[in-house]
Amino acid sequence: MSRIGSGSKGIWILLFLMGGSIGSLSAQVDSPQLSPAEIIDKVDQMLRGDSSQGRVEMAVVTRRWKRNVMMEIWSEGTDKALIKVLQPKKEAGMTTLKVGSDMWNYLPKIDRTIRIPTSMMMASWMGSHFTNDDLVKESRLIRDYDIEIVYEGDREGVEVYEFLLTPHPKAPVVWGKMLYQVRKKDLMPIRAEYYDENEELKRTLTFSEYREMGGRLVPTKSRMVPQDKPEEYTEMIYHELRFDIPIPQGTFSLSSLRR
Amino acid sequence: MIVLRLGWRNLWRNPRRSLITISAVGCGYAILIVLIGLTVGIAGQMLKNGTGLLMGDLQLHHSGYLPERSLYDTIGSDEDSALEGVLHQLSLYPQLVGRSPRVYGFGLLSTGEHSAGARLMGVDPQVEVRVSSFLSGLQAGALDDSVERSLLLGDVLARELEATIGSQVAIVTQAADGSLGNDLFLVSGILHTGLSYLDRSLAVLYLEDLQELLALGPDEVHEIAVRLEDPMDADGFAAQLNASEELPANISARSWGELAPQLKDYVSLAQGMYGFIILIIGLFTAMGVLNTMMMAVFERSREIGLVHALGMRPLLIVSAILLESLFLGILGLIGGFGLGAWGMSYLTTQGLDLSRWMGELSMLGTRIDPVLKASWGWDYVLWSALGLLLATLLAAFFPAVKAARLNPVQALSAPVEG
Repeated sequence: MSRIGSGSKGIWILLFLMGGSIGSLSAQVDSPQLSPAEIIDKVDQMLRGDSSQGRVEMAVVTRRWKRNVMMEIWSEGTDKALIKVLQPKKEAGMTTLKVGSDMWNYLPKIDRTIRIPTSMMMASWMGSHFTNDDLVKESRLIRDYDIEIVYEGDREGVEVYEFLLTPHPKAPVVWGKMLYQVRKKDLMPIRAEYYDENEELKRTLTFSEYREMGGRLVPTKSRMVPQDKPEEYTEMIYHELRFDIPIPQGTFSLSSLRR
Repeated sequence: MIVLRLGWRNLWRNPRRSLITISAVGCGYAILIVLIGLTVGIAGQMLKNGTGLLMGDLQLHHSGYLPERSLYDTIGSDEDSALEGVLHQLSLYPQLVGRSPRVYGFGLLSTGEHSAGARLMGVDPQVEVRVSSFLSGLQAGALDDSVERSLLLGDVLARELEATIGSQVAIVTQAADGSLGNDLFLVSGILHTGLSYLDRSLAVLYLEDLQELLALGPDEVHEIAVRLEDPMDADGFAAQLNASEELPANISARSWGELAPQLKDYVSLAQGMYGFIILIIGLFTAMGVLNTMMMAVFERSREIGLVHALGMRPLLIVSAILLESLFLGILGLIGGFGLGAWGMSYLTTQGLDLSRWMGELSMLGTRIDPVLKASWGWDYVLWSALGLLLATLLAAFFPAVKAARLNPVQALSAPVEG
């Protein structure tokens, strides 16, 4: 089941929460007394603005078909987001609203807003390799996982930290463990590996094309590859990203879905 | 000829004794007939419930479809397996009662306030009713071709969605082209199958509507369910189809036994169990007959000794006694058959109503009918008749041989028959 969602770093990071001031960050990175959990927390924080707005291209490649979807996204904090499809025409106007752990889809063709029930959380989101659950669960690595550094040093010429994240016994997560690789110099994520409870690798998320966007350094491209279908992937490419911008009142409401 | 006459006349020399023997054979046979009828009835009913509701006697799929049930593995997805041709080929077999193309999907149903996941099943109701019964047992309404995009919901699912007939339900699903298929449907019927997993999750649509929703071509289906005259032919028919040159190689047929091995196991288990019971009762019956028969022959030691002394050859004596018991057996079987048939006429029409002891219940995904109806298992009925006849002859043979070998003096000194 490659599409099983994570209770952690999912699409959320991918989609919007990227950023962070390199300047202020370097000072923190350099400080040697940070615990592994604190470092992860920093990564989390810097990848997340108070609010963000941007345009993302989602490319989904499966054995059967390939499609590109252009989307506009708004987010506020960790728990509110609105994603609106711009292209292709057939699906233009389809909108996903996330508030807390609730999620709705608006379908312009039938002019209906549908709440995604819990039973559908593991289903694919918009045909991608992400699940609805990936979108809904907020980032809570520190809360749900024990974090330790298992490697620190050179990997293919880059100084990295490698974190092993093991879920707390009763944490509501579907993964057995996660390996998370972060670039040492600016705490940019490089890759995340998701393992099931049998320690079997299920999917890999890789980040690339680190560029400054909206005043922050972000990985503008990320790719999720399911382990059982290595020829398939979903890629998120940022075309535009702005951080800490005022977002109009009522953006994250059901009534805004139809607009 | 004299032996035949002798045998027949012997039969009526002691009508009381003969009638006792005849009724022993007859009652035993009648009991066996009814037991066999009930056994065959239970097995048949189990099969009918298991395969008749939805499954069909066999199913055809694209060879890659099971077990993953991928949306893309359709019959008709390539030119080699054109749907029209496959359906036509199937209709050439005379043992086929019906065949129904089906499309499956999984979707999110929503009435606005309430949403629920459901299995989507697209059928053509006109051909589907010849294969399965789930459409005929609708609680209310039916698929309605006078409205656009008609929909049937399982009753539990409908309750969960708070949908009734006339409600609009939005269906959202992952279509075959990667897009999000979505459309509005009108609830025009409520299903109740008695199987909770179906009532909770099944949404039935017109075949064309579901194909459109899933972005499948009009010739693409996931399954063709087939109904046969006799479900017991399913294995052979599936093998025949798989070996057939006429059907595309990438289509495979599976019998109900392959599709639902647990059902097959259960049917065989039940058959084995009842077969065992029948065997035991058959043995008891045979022993009863044996006993009556032996007594009847031993009783006549004196008489046999007499005819022996008069110069009748032992072979003739034994033949006469054997023929007598053959007549006894045949008369008993005829009477028993009449009695059994009378019981069966009730059990096949009225059946045994067990609903007092069991409500609506299902087992292994199969609804168990509380009214147990018998049906004729002719081959078993015939075999048990032969078995009983054999027992009768055996029972007569040993005492007859013994009596025929007796020294006439000894035989004549045996007690006079009373």
